[in-house]
Amino acid sequence: MVEALIKRNLKTHPQLNFPDYKSSILRAPNNKKISYSSTSTELSGPIFNKKIIGKLDNDLTLNFSKNNIIPIGHKIIVYGTISDQFSNPIEGALIEIWQANAAGKYLHYNDKNEAPIDPNFAGCGRYITSSKGYYEFITIQPGPYPYPNRGIEWRPMHIHFSVFGKNFGQRLITQMYFEGDPLINSCPMVNSIPDEKAQKSLISTLDASRSNTQKLLSYKFDIILRGTNQTFFENRKEGL
Amino acid sequence: MSDIKTVLDETPFQTAGPFLHIGCLPNAINIEGIFDTDLGVKPFANKDYGKFITITGSVFDGDGKALDDIMLESWQSDENGVYSPECGFARFVPDTLTKKFNLYTLKPGFINDIDGKAQSPHILLSISSRGLNMTLNTRIYFEGDDLTSDPLLSTVRNSRNNVSSLVAKKIDEDIFLFDIFLQGDKETIFLDI
Repeated sequence: MVEALIKRNLKTHPQLNFPDYKSSILRAPNNKKISYSSTSTELSGPIFNKKIIGKLDNDLTLNFSKNNIIPIGHKIIVYGTISDQFSNPIEGALIEIWQANAAGKYLHYNDKNEAPIDPNFAGCGRYITSSKGYYEFITIQPGPYPYPNRGIEWRPMHIHFSVFGKNFGQRLITQMYFEGDPLINSCPMVNSIPDEKAQKSLISTLDASRSNTQKLLSYKFDIILRGTNQTFFENRKEGL
Repeated sequence: MSDIKTVLDETPFQTAGPFLHIGCLPNAINIEGIFDTDLGVKPFANKDYGKFITITGSVFDGDGKALDDIMLESWQSDENGVYSPECGFARFVPDTLTKKFNLYTLKPGFINDIDGKAQSPHILLSISSRGLNMTLNTRIYFEGDDLTSDPLLSTVRNSRNNVSSLVAKKIDEDIFLFDIFLQGDKETIFLDI
């Protein structure tokens, strides 16, 4: 028996060539991707040691603050689990996040928006999941912001997620949105995903009870990475 | 039995956007003091022996423009064709002036897979950026290696595609050129991994 990654269902992923998102026009490849049987290359992958994670790496309200000044905005909790397509929790998954500040401004030379940076907020964090696949970040509610697309449009509030599971076939880069944001429906990046249920799976849900207990609005966002199946050797002999 | 377990949908991709450095390479854009070092600066940090090579190239869009607001990630075996979880991963970006990336790494070896098939030396390469709704994956093979019986290259040939876009050209002793074309006549072969 050998392992193989479950084949990707492209209906639940964005279309590469999606002209409503203008930047895709000159960057999306036109040819069909080549499918092939998984090899050890895709079934292995980097696994990161928990030692790389510093104490404040998952607290974006403190990891760039000067003199303990808390960044401006609503402090929130974002948490959830990482599991595979068979609901097995994934321990040791590395999550990296990045986001705009409360004013919708990124700490980045390419962000041309006329909004203020916050000297106490960089907008990056990382975490390695615990045995139940659990992760948690404390951060500031990111603001929406205008960007040039078909004229000026607005990005819904979002946090970027980069995830490493157990193998390179599980590698995922995505964005998390916030329940109730009226800008989600018109976002071309969300709409590039053909399947509506898949679109909704990117929207975090407000956890009312935890928000009350911890006095911080708490959003739950669960992530599902690819699973692997056991298959027979393709070249097995009769009777073996 | 695992056969009858419900198979959930994978979480969808979204573009990494133009500001990916903040989360993935903060030190590279002078956001310092949060992470000690950026991830994947050296693929084989603890090794100073073996044959090291440089792979250089650019990523071109449909207008033939070399891009710099992209992130590349590579994953490979060591010189003996062995994968180990703690090394072989690199993350890098093109230089903002020359638009060229440079990957300094061990030349990977031939890989004997569990199903008895041998893979030619290669590096799995992924590309993420603004305008790419999903991360793209391709492979770097090397000019001069025996590429005749590699299973993936056979699949590519059987689909009547030319494998040349997957083969890095040797341009000097220990230096290989691997340009990536997102679109057009020379469009690189991308993989549904």
